[in-house]
This record gives sequence, C-alpha cells and structure tokens, in this order.
Amino acid sequence: MIARFLIRIVALAALAYLVLPLVVIVGASLTETSYLAFPPQGLTLKWFGVLFDDPSYVSAFVTSTLLALAATVVAIVLAIPASLALARYVFAGREAISSLLMSPLVLPYVVLGAALLQFGSAIGLARSFEALLVGHVVIVMPFVLRSVLPLLTPEQRALEEASMDLGATPVATFFLVVLPQIRGGIVSGGLLAFISSWINVELSIFNTSSALNTIPVKMFNYVQYTIDPTIAAVSAITIVAAALVIILLDLLIGLDMLSESRRP
Amino acid sequence: MTAPRTTLALLLFAPLAFFAAFFVAPMVVVALSSIIADDGALTTAHYARILLDQYHWDVLWVTFRIALLTTLICMLVGFPLAWYLVRIVRWRAWRRACVILIIVPLFTSNIVRSFGWMVLLGRTGLVNQGLMGLGLTERPIRFLGTETGILIGLVYILVPFVVLTVGNALAKIDTAYEEASADLGVGPARTFWFVTLPLTLPGAVSGAIMVFALAVSAYVTPALLSGGQITVFSMLIFQQYSSVFDFHYGAALSITLLVLTLILVTVAGRIGEGRKPA
Repeated sequence: MIARFLIRIVALAALAYLVLPLVVIVGASLTETSYLAFPPQGLTLKWFGVLFDDPSYVSAFVTSTLLALAATVVAIVLAIPASLALARYVFAGREAISSLLMSPLVLPYVVLGAALLQFGSAIGLARSFEALLVGHVVIVMPFVLRSVLPLLTPEQRALEEASMDLGATPVATFFLVVLPQIRGGIVSGGLLAFISSWINVELSIFNTSSALNTIPVKMFNYVQYTIDPTIAAVSAITIVAAALVIILLDLLIGLDMLSESRRP
Repeated sequence: MTAPRTTLALLLFAPLAFFAAFFVAPMVVVALSSIIADDGALTTAHYARILLDQYHWDVLWVTFRIALLTTLICMLVGFPLAWYLVRIVRWRAWRRACVILIIVPLFTSNIVRSFGWMVLLGRTGLVNQGLMGLGLTERPIRFLGTETGILIGLVYILVPFVVLTVGNALAKIDTAYEEASADLGVGPARTFWFVTLPLTLPGAVSGAIMVFALAVSAYVTPALLSGGQITVFSMLIFQQYSSVFDFHYGAALSITLLVLTLILVTVAGRIGEGRKPA
C-alpha cells in the first residue's frame, strides 16, 4: 500500500535525522586536527585527555551530578505525598493545586530562572548551589508526579485498604503496599527528573557563576565563542553516557513503551 | 472520597510550602517588580515601553512564528514515525532500537544537540556538502543565522516529545475499533480520519502543546543557531538580567512572555478537549 510505504520512508528519514547530529559530534571528537572536522581526520583520544586535565570541567561535572541527584531526591520526596493527596481525595482546590504543581512543564524556564535570581538576590540565595537546587526541584517535580499519579488506581487503593483492615499501620502499609506498587513510576519519573536537571541550561544560567558552574552552562558559554574538538569531546561524553544509561534501563525495566502491551 | 482534613494537610503541606516559597513567591516578586519604578512608585512604564516599541512586536512575531512552525513540522515528522513504530514495525528488537534512538537525543543536552547542528549546517558542513554533491545547489546555503537553521534545530529537539505522546496514544487504542470500522465496509483513509485520528487526538494535542510551550520559550537553540542574527523573546529577557541589569524591565518582558504562552496553551488545550471523540 502506498500510504504504508510513504510512512515508512518518512519514519526512516526521521530516524536518520535524529541520529545524524550525535554521530557527527562523536566523530568530530576523534579528529587529530585542532579544528573541528567531520569526517574526522585521523583518530585520537587526545581531546578527552585535555578535558580530564582541566579542573574546571571536572568540577562542573561534579556540580551537575550532585545537583541533579539532590533535585531528584527532593522532588520524589515531595511528589509522593502530593500524588497520594491528588489521586485519592476530592477536595476544594484540588484542580488548582494539581495545575500549580504541573505548571512548571509549560512555564518558560528563562522566566523562572530570572524570577529565582531576582527573588534569590532579595533573600540572599542568588548564585548558590541552594538557589540552583530549589529551581531544579520545581521544574523536575512534574515529571515524577506524572509518572506516579497514573499508578494510584482504585485497584491499588483496594489493596491498601485490605492492608489496613488486616491491621497494618499506615506507615507499614505505605512501605509494604503502596511503595512497591508505585516503584516503577518513581524510577521512570526520577530518571526523567535527573536527566532534565542534568542537562538544564535555561534555568541554571541565571544562578551559575565562574566558580559555580554546571556542565551544560559551561559548554553553552564556551560554544558561543569557540567551536573546537574539546567541546566535541565533552559533548561526546554526554552522548555516550546518555546512550549507556538508556540501554541499561532498557535491559532493566524495558523501554518498549510503544508496543501494544495492553494485549495479554 | 472526601478526606479527613488532617490527612490532606499532612500530605500537601510540604509540597505546597515548597512551591509557595520557591515558585509562587519568585513569580510574585517578578510580577510586582514589573510594575514598580526605580523610585518605588507603581508604574506601567515598563509595559508601555514593550508595547510601544515596534522592535518588541517584531521579536514576538518571530518567536511565535518559529514556535508555530516548529509545532506543525514536529507533528508532520513525529506522527508518521510514531505510526511506523506502533503499527508497522513487527520486529520487536528493531522497535526497541528505534525507541532508544528517539530517547537518546532527549537525554542529551540542548547544547550538545544544537552544537551538532552548528557543525552540520555550517558553510562546509555535511548538509551543504551533501546538497552540493547531489547537485541541488551550486554554492553553500546559509543556514546558520537564519530562521530555517533555528527551525531545523528546534524541530530536532522537540520531535521526540511528539513521537512519544502520539505513540503512547496510538498504542493504547484497541485495534478492535479499527477492525470494526473496516468490517462495516469503511475504507482505510476514512477509518483513519474518523476513528483512529480522533482517538489519538488527546495525546497529539498534549504533545503539541508541550512542543509549542517549549519552542516559544527556547533559549539555547535559537541562541546558538541564530549566530546573533535573529533575536527571540527569551534572549531579550536574558539580556536584561545578565548584561543590562534592568530587572524591572526584564520582569515586564518575563510576564509578557508568560501571559502570552499561557493564553495560547490554554486555548490549544480547550480546542483539544472540545474534540474528544463522541
């Protein structure tokens, strides 16, 4: 059928489009030339060596990782009770609270970044790790909410009630019944949260400084003035890391979310 | 179910307190700051400055035009890809590989992805080499510093959102509906238009809204691919906060972008809801 053939062509072209820039960057990071070349001319790992010898890159890498980790943990701790309240109960203001907690998804990050800088300057929080952290928690919390909420179904609620009827305390019920059931949502939401925080520029850029820098902001400031194989090497590391994490996840929990899994 | 007040208070206190302190309060500060003059008096001067300057209207127009085109192209590229993955691919391993290929860019920073396009779209980049090699153009086409360049980059960054939301919606549709439609003698095109598409629409609309909101407020990709030639709205805001240091004016620009985005997102959401399958 012609339609099917056309869809196939468009889809394969789209896949090629998705892969091309990543391949080019990884390739360019291996060039022996001191300017960026693709296809690479010669093969060398020297640009990766340059990175690891530069303490400012190493410290930006550490900052980004700690920030993303902390933001994810705080977001999960805040999102779990919020999802329980939103999924379980009908109360005045429920819709409003739900939209409030989800609104960072559609709020321009630049606007929130500016707001946090301005607000932070007023209360002495600006350009600090804490300032970055609170902003990142706000923007990553919707990811956790969105993946946990759908798991809090009436069936899940019934099991919880059964546990309570059998005499388990609310705390025991939470850890033994509720938590195991929403674990999948916490893992996938937490992972999205971690990554969104790790790669964020728009929000972070307002509260970073030369002493406190995240890896994407550092790269952004660099790329605007110079394009060289060093920056391709940093980029290549982040691409390979992302690919490894995803492949690992696929092996662990299965990412085949687009198959018709609803069929028994 | 109605909840005991104490349970609700216990569950919601921490998340709401956090959002009040670090989300609502900062936004209130910005909103207030946008209507305060340097001497502390209330003023509408910052907004007047935005509204009366043709330059701002031009920037807004460019920003929204880019965002709309991005959303449209993302749907045109993302829908077939989602369809292909959910309905056409029968080989599980290949579909898995494709899903990974779609998610890897999502997990890679905007900087890296835009940087990739800076390299690809340059005068001597692979794209121009390819176009000239195929004889489609005699001399290199200028992509960097043009709206086309920004569009290529933004679509690239945002298309995975469409594939995933539309793909999820498609995967959830019980194919029995389509089979029933076919059994009743309806052709594939009409089945698609009257059965499958309406069922996919809520997913597609939420994907489109997300893409639009992200495109309107995008900063990194336009900044890197515009080469300083094209200004979008988020750049104006960043300039005020980082180099001009006019926080009041920057605040007014922020609120303007925010309000316009929210209006469009709400309107699009209403349209999506209004088209629920009967």
